[in-house]
Amino acid sequence: MLRVLALASVVLLGIAPQASQAITVYTSWERHALVGSDIRLSCTFFSWRSISEDVSFTWRYRPDGSKDSISIAHFAGGEAYTDNKGVFKDRVEFVGNPKRRDGSILIKNLDFSDNGTFTCDAKNPPDIVGRPSSVRLLVFENLPIQAGVITGAIIGVVLGLLVLIVVIYYLMRFLVARRVFSLSVSKHGKKKKEGSQQRQGPAPPADPSKVKAAASEKKKQESRKDKK
Amino acid sequence: MLVLVALSVLHLAAIILLLVATIDNAWWVTSTTSTDVWGRWMLTGNKWNLTDLPASYPPDYLQAVQATTVLACIFSIIGLFVFIAQLFTLPKGNRFTVSGVFQVLASLFIMIAASIYTDRFHANERSIGNYGHSFILAWIAFGLTFISSIVYFVLRKK
Repeated sequence: MLRVLALASVVLLGIAPQASQAITVYTSWERHALVGSDIRLSCTFFSWRSISEDVSFTWRYRPDGSKDSISIAHFAGGEAYTDNKGVFKDRVEFVGNPKRRDGSILIKNLDFSDNGTFTCDAKNPPDIVGRPSSVRLLVFENLPIQAGVITGAIIGVVLGLLVLIVVIYYLMRFLVARRVFSLSVSKHGKKKKEGSQQRQGPAPPADPSKVKAAASEKKKQESRKDKK
Repeated sequence: MLVLVALSVLHLAAIILLLVATIDNAWWVTSTTSTDVWGRWMLTGNKWNLTDLPASYPPDYLQAVQATTVLACIFSIIGLFVFIAQLFTLPKGNRFTVSGVFQVLASLFIMIAASIYTDRFHANERSIGNYGHSFILAWIAFGLTFISSIVYFVLRKK
């Protein structure tokens, strides 16, 4: 058992330094947008090293059905460069903050021809080994209803109403029961007071503590009956 | 005693029919497909493959059918537990109203599902295929849950 543990730790220590050198890039999986709108494609990365001065981001675009990709945005050496010749001329803007690991771009005035895959590649020297991440852009005329949203909404609302009705029913029962109980106690208290005042006239005043004890005993019996 | 057993069997049968109608993708069948409400089975070569439903289906109606079939199952199953609970807790002479309410809601939901499906799907394909067993079971389940709920509303506890 100890030997297995030692072997495992040696293997892990052997792998770990290599794993810690790789940079991992994160983008969304798929984005939907309306034609004519703007969209912000986010790209961030995780690196075991601190952000260097030479951090770089590169965005590539590959249209649907094509095999080649072209560069549309590049950030390096503290400067951002965007497409000034191709399809995205004057439409793409680098809006990320590389010092905060954000390499997002903003694409304006989308058209159906912008459907495709956008790939972000980030490098944080000396941490340069990593796989770029892609986000698929789908441009619609009208945004379609996502699968399952209406289903979930209908089920959720109906079950929620059911739970609400049950809760309200039990709450009303509880409140009505409490009101009935407190009403009966107060009625009983008034009757007891009138009775004791009448008796104090002709007879010598009864011991107040004895009267109180008798009254509380009666109240207890009454509440026990109510509870049943 | 016999009445109670019969009632439970009826309720259980309704639940089973509802579950089959909801889960099995066989509301509409042709010689090579068996489809709705969650996916489409297509016979290619000798193998059946599960594929997505075509995008031409109206998405809101499809999701409404999905939601209402699921809700009918949920209400009927909860209704069975409520019925068993009421058997023990209901005072004598009272009616099983809450169980009846659950069953009538289940019946309402499966009716909504089957009606939407009948009206909005495959309206133009009547000659190409026919309704599958899930569709038929859905309508039968509607009848069973309705009868079951009427019995619950009328029956008094001895």
